[in-house]
Amino acid sequence: MEYVFLAVLVVLMITALTSGFPVAFSLPGSAILAIGLAALTGYVFEGDIDAYFAVDGPSEWINAGVTNYRSLYWSVERDTLIAIPLFVFMGIMLQRSKIAEDLLVTMAKLFGPIPGGLGISVVFVGALLAATTGIVGATVIAMGLISLPAMLRNRYSPSLACGTICASGTLGQIIPPSIVLIILADQLSSAADQASAARKLDYRESTGEFAMPSELDIVSASAGDMFMGALIPGLILVGLYMAYILIAALINPKSAPPVHREAAFDRAFALRVVLTLAPPLTLIFVVLGSIISGIATVNQAGAIGAVGAMIMGSYRLVEGQARAYWPAILAVASLIELAVVIQVFDINVRLVETRQDLLGLILAMIGAAGLVIAAVWAAVRAYRINGTLNGVMLETAKTTSMVFIILIGAAMLTSAFRGFGGEELVKDYLTGLPGGFWTQFVVVMLVIFLLGFFLDFIEIAVVVVPIVAPILLADPEANITAVWLGVMVGLNIQTSFLTPPFGFALFYLRGVAPKIVKTLAIYKGAGAFIALQLVGLSIAGMYPSLVNYLPARISLTGETAPPAINPKLQACLQAYVFDYYDANEAALRQAVLTARRMDTAMLPAPDRQRLQQSFDAVDGTFERVAAVRRADAALAAFNPEYKPLHAEVRRIKRDMRRLEKRLAALNTERSRLARQINPDWRRLGDLDQAIIAARAARQALEGRIPAQWDAQRQHYRTLRDQQTQAIRAYRQTVDGAYAPLPVMIRAIAQAERVAALAPQIDALRRVVETQAGAASTTAIQAVERAVSELEGTGKIKSALTKVRRALKNAEQPRREQALTHYATALTLLRTEIDWRSAAAQSMLPALRAYQAALRGSIGLRLQPRLTGEQADYVAACQSTHKDLSLYF
Amino acid sequence: MMGFVVRFFGLGMVVFLLLFLLNNVLTFWFGWPGSIAYLSGSGGDSGRNPWGVLQVGSYVVGLAAVAVWVFKTAADGMRGDAHGLNRLAAYIVRGAFWAVLLVGLADGVIAFLRVEDLLSGLVGEQLDKSLGRPQYRGEYLHFPLILLGYGVAAVYRKLDFSWLAILVVLAEFVIVISRFVFSYEQAFMGDLVRFWYAALFLFASAYALMHEGHVRVDVLYARFGGRVRAWVNAVGALVLGLPVCWTILWYGTNGKGASINSPLLSYEITQSGYGMYVKYLMAAFLLVFAVSMVVQFCAYIVHAAADLADEPDAVFEPGEAAPDGVDALEA
Repeated sequence: MEYVFLAVLVVLMITALTSGFPVAFSLPGSAILAIGLAALTGYVFEGDIDAYFAVDGPSEWINAGVTNYRSLYWSVERDTLIAIPLFVFMGIMLQRSKIAEDLLVTMAKLFGPIPGGLGISVVFVGALLAATTGIVGATVIAMGLISLPAMLRNRYSPSLACGTICASGTLGQIIPPSIVLIILADQLSSAADQASAARKLDYRESTGEFAMPSELDIVSASAGDMFMGALIPGLILVGLYMAYILIAALINPKSAPPVHREAAFDRAFALRVVLTLAPPLTLIFVVLGSIISGIATVNQAGAIGAVGAMIMGSYRLVEGQARAYWPAILAVASLIELAVVIQVFDINVRLVETRQDLLGLILAMIGAAGLVIAAVWAAVRAYRINGTLNGVMLETAKTTSMVFIILIGAAMLTSAFRGFGGEELVKDYLTGLPGGFWTQFVVVMLVIFLLGFFLDFIEIAVVVVPIVAPILLADPEANITAVWLGVMVGLNIQTSFLTPPFGFALFYLRGVAPKIVKTLAIYKGAGAFIALQLVGLSIAGMYPSLVNYLPARISLTGETAPPAINPKLQACLQAYVFDYYDANEAALRQAVLTARRMDTAMLPAPDRQRLQQSFDAVDGTFERVAAVRRADAALAAFNPEYKPLHAEVRRIKRDMRRLEKRLAALNTERSRLARQINPDWRRLGDLDQAIIAARAARQALEGRIPAQWDAQRQHYRTLRDQQTQAIRAYRQTVDGAYAPLPVMIRAIAQAERVAALAPQIDALRRVVETQAGAASTTAIQAVERAVSELEGTGKIKSALTKVRRALKNAEQPRREQALTHYATALTLLRTEIDWRSAAAQSMLPALRAYQAALRGSIGLRLQPRLTGEQADYVAACQSTHKDLSLYF
Repeated sequence: MMGFVVRFFGLGMVVFLLLFLLNNVLTFWFGWPGSIAYLSGSGGDSGRNPWGVLQVGSYVVGLAAVAVWVFKTAADGMRGDAHGLNRLAAYIVRGAFWAVLLVGLADGVIAFLRVEDLLSGLVGEQLDKSLGRPQYRGEYLHFPLILLGYGVAAVYRKLDFSWLAILVVLAEFVIVISRFVFSYEQAFMGDLVRFWYAALFLFASAYALMHEGHVRVDVLYARFGGRVRAWVNAVGALVLGLPVCWTILWYGTNGKGASINSPLLSYEITQSGYGMYVKYLMAAFLLVFAVSMVVQFCAYIVHAAADLADEPDAVFEPGEAAPDGVDALEA
């Protein structure tokens, strides 16, 4: 029955949306109506308002929706959404102050003389600046108004001109910084959480083990990740577009003739080009660069962009007047000053101790004040001139509100959709499709493509993604990353917007194009770009690395980079190191040989032994590696035989689980019915039959599990266990080889500092001999602290502690005991000083060389961070999708 | 007749809404029984509290007064009401803007002083301790500032919610400077940005509705004539828009533990301790959103009805900008 109301919900939603009532209220409104109707019907016919819900009741689902209204801004988790108003502000500021338009006009003048140059400029500017509003219609209209007349005037073929505008207007949506990507990231990260929970459950059900190893988990997406992920595919598309226009212009010069240059390419023109192009390009570069390099969060980059746009607007708005550039000059000067100051001084307001610090702080304050004054100055100017600032603020407020009210409204819709069991339905349908993950993926993409005819980016992102993304992400067979899914969805929607006859972009361009441009010309122009889109889509689809590499690479060396020991990195790190061993085995063996020649006589026995073990471990590593490879090979050899069987049984088991769920539901309904005083006997009979049928079906399914399954599964498990053991043995060996080295080297390198302890400890003698109680405690504790700062001085410290304890009681100090322990401490210190200084002289360089030889390979697992080259390899390795299904 | 029904509906709903909010405060802050509890007698001892009569009566009297007023001014037509409702919605939002501006600045400064341990030197140990308690800060700092905000909004109309856009930009920019130049970052700075950003999109919604800021799927809508559009807007506001707002209002306030009442009653603050003490106010943002949207939807309905009744556009008060719903609907 709940499916009836699911249908009601969908019909209501479609009606409300197509009627043209604002989306932000159509979505939650139809959800509330449907929930209300279901509750009312349930109450009238069954006496139970919960009756027509798949789980829970109307209040729970509405409450879930209403709580969602708040969760958008309630806590820190979804803070990246704050970037949306900032980027919108930036985009509208650039647009209103005509900087975007200038950019286009100047680019056109610069590139005009080459064939297709005007079209290429349109692509470039569209990709760069059209992104920030997130509404395809608005972007295409703006682009159409500015560039279509220019292109037609220069006798571009109408279809090429229209195609170019539509394509670059929509392309901007997936090129960062774009708010659509931020919204996608927000939706995908919660989808990834759900998918991760589903996969964990799957793991538990299929393996019987409780905790899923974290390397099998789903790779989520932050807004920064989405920006990185979309960058390369976006640039590829820009390249494709430009190449196409250039080729079209060369093949058929009439379609995109070179523009006669109006002004000479003289120095004044060059200056003008620099002044128009450099600032916006620098701004975009700074905004994206600060995100890519991991310096700033997406929000902070957004604020930089917004303020930067405002400062640029401040001179553009008063163009030609005296002092036009003052705020901009002030801002740039302050920035340069700050850059220098930060380089020279290490500024931290909390730690101002020396005069140097104070000077740095004052200089930094001057720079910061300069920046703030420049920003305020620019704002005041924008406020005074034509009310630009007012317009920008109002437009920002409107757009932001539009986006967010849709976001929260869609959450209500999703909640109702779940309430009526829609999510289960979609999941069952998708996972029931033959052909596994890729069929599901294609179906979802097709649906999104069709929806793109009617709904804008944001609506699809907030309505469809939360429903389908968890299902697609959870699949261990494809094991796609959230970023890749997001980018594919983005590219897909964008293609949909270009597709006649419904494509959004075409529809809007038709609205602003002059009458002489035939609709058919628009369609024709879009055709070529659809083909380019499909090329781009398949490139990104076939080479997921293009999408995944950048986010993975940046997370490996950013501020919050994981240490090399992180379990998620191990597989790729191991591949890297194994490659290294193949190339450098001889060098490593040689390093051990050299190191073995060190004179280790002065080392304390345990250290000597550890070093010996390290040498042996390095030599033994290669055997371990071979063992791991043998285990890998055995597994790989078995896979072709096992994999189809595994897939088949998994499918059967999944169907069985579904049947069991159905059986459970039937049984509950039957027992509820049977408890009634005068039950509906007919229904009861039906139920009984259904239960019998379901049981039989389950039986039949169980019978379809091939007979050899258990044995094969067992064999697979054994192989997998052997592999795990081989890997574990390998890891123990390499860790054992490297772990003692840093400690030992630190200890030896501290020889002088240990020696410097001697006077302090000598000075204690007077204390030990004469003082007791509080006085002795403070004195000894001070020395203890100094001692424990150093490596390998634990014994000395504990001897001193014993001295302190013996003297603790001021009335009755056990002085004898104290003196004994003090003597021990002294002896210990002497030995330490002796061996350390001897070692520092004779073996430290050799030991360091040995450590350096191991650091990039055998010791890699124990490094706090990866080097650039290692991160390159690991990111490339991680960015391909790996089939994990056999683990389940 | 249609004029009467529509006007009674629009004005009546707004009066009902205001009484609903008032009664919510009386019930959950002052321990009055609440209308439903009184009528059903379910509230136990408090359910029999005689104050309940006043609460139930307030609705009866309020709606009757609206009916009488609408009847008496029957000749005035609908446009005037619509403009009045527009102005009311604008005032609610403007007051909320001032409140958010003042509270944000004041609380931000206090949070800064507290986290840097400067507050007690400035205002004395005693007051410092009091300001460390959310309830005290709410009652002696936030509430007066909110009242002040609504007072300012009544006389000064130039600054409005849209300024939150640049406030968010500047507040985030201050974070950028202080983090990258001074290596200084505190929880309250992020809190302030979040406080203003939430206000920005929730408060702007009513304005966006009147200025065609909320996107429509306009494949068909673009081809509709004025009358069909008026129908779409009126019916949509009635069956889609208003239920959403009332759902928020009802589910947010139907008990002490409800999602809006509960943080307000307990002066909920963020876990971080030294951040701003305004989280509970952010729950109230939803109230501002729902209330301003109810008023705006009522104006929307009345407008659309006036269009359908072919009522001529009324003359506006001098100095007031043309009511924007009109061009939005007739565009």
